[in-house]
Amino acid sequence: MTRHNKQCSGRPRGADTPVRFLDRKPFAILLFCLALPLFLLGNSADDQPRVPSDVAWTHDTIELASSGDAFRGSLIAKSCAHCHGSEGFSSEPGIPNLAGIDRLSIWKQLQDFRSGKRYSPVMQPIAVELSSRNDADVSAYFSMLPTFSDPQDNRVFPQAIPDPKTSRLAENLIVFGDAHRGIPPCESCHGPVGFIRGAPSLATQNAGYLLEQLQHFAQGLRTNDIDEVMRIVSSQLTDEEKSAVSAYYGAGRGPSAPRPPIP
Amino acid sequence: MRQKIVFALSIILVGCIILATRVYMIDIPIYRFFGGGRELNPATLHLAGEFVESNLGTTREPDGSYTVRVVATQYMFVPHCMEVPVGVPVRFRVTSADIVHGLTFTNLRRIIKVTPGTISEAVFEFPNLGEFDLPCSEFCGPGHFAMRSHIRVLPADQFANLRPDQRRSCDAPQ
Repeated sequence: MTRHNKQCSGRPRGADTPVRFLDRKPFAILLFCLALPLFLLGNSADDQPRVPSDVAWTHDTIELASSGDAFRGSLIAKSCAHCHGSEGFSSEPGIPNLAGIDRLSIWKQLQDFRSGKRYSPVMQPIAVELSSRNDADVSAYFSMLPTFSDPQDNRVFPQAIPDPKTSRLAENLIVFGDAHRGIPPCESCHGPVGFIRGAPSLATQNAGYLLEQLQHFAQGLRTNDIDEVMRIVSSQLTDEEKSAVSAYYGAGRGPSAPRPPIP
Repeated sequence: MRQKIVFALSIILVGCIILATRVYMIDIPIYRFFGGGRELNPATLHLAGEFVESNLGTTREPDGSYTVRVVATQYMFVPHCMEVPVGVPVRFRVTSADIVHGLTFTNLRRIIKVTPGTISEAVFEFPNLGEFDLPCSEFCGPGHFAMRSHIRVLPADQFANLRPDQRRSCDAPQ
């Protein structure tokens, strides 16, 4: 009996030694077959792909980002008022206005601050303390704040009067873009003509903030735009065009703003 | 008899699971072996897979053939400025991140139609040197008229040093 056992297993084994799991041939073959495709797939994967942002506009993400509670957000946003203004309009040129910006854009930026895809020493520790549910609430609150382009709002704007020479240049870029260089018009993504997800409305934005972000996109300091669109556009703009466009938007004369009353 | 029925049922069950991965586009890595989950999700192109940002552009495969990977998005072809060698077959692999686009080669009179969720593939040979426009031929929104990339056809010896892990395009360095 012991001799027969020895022939089968290929190595000597006592009669009372327990048979180990891997010693059984069919199981070993099965495990090998299961592990082989996993091993091949693991080797074919890229080493370190460059990912601009962890946010992807899938159905679940849009559902989560747009289901915020604005009242709950208003309580969280008390601490934002110090920099972004109590009504969503900041007084510093480098800090963005948040009033009326759509909720998906604000939500995405908070996600990117938290994951470090967009670098900011100020916003990163703030975003780390929030959860993605809190992000949705805060962005719901800011998106509901009234902007000066509401006809009911009679606050005095603009912040600055743009130079008529540069405003002509800016109007051309905002409305028509530059087809020869492949620069699409600003308003085809940032409104009011067309919107894409994650592209905020610019008609109520700060001039200083816009200019800084355009420069950061062009220099590669800010890389959280999906599919490199803003990096490609702003790396092709000249310095003159960048300042013209940001001054035009910052003067509150973006296309969605009302025309000044005729005296 | 009972054992035979259980055996046949289990085989049918496994077959149904494999079919379900194809019908419902379930992307389980082990089922890729059977051809399931081939479809791309256009919303998650930039997270992982073939069309991540660092994998776009011209590359030289280990067998010496050239491949250009392009993502068409609203209103931009990425990379915005492509570089290809002259007189050599170049394989284009294009997909869309949002809606239907058309990558038009004005120097060849050829169009690659790009549909979200699928990869459009075509092999072209560029006869002439120079820089040409690549406009979008499929109306894709208010910025469609300005959706125009460029392609530079360069001498093939400029691509001799391109390693398989390198990607080449003439966009501004990021």
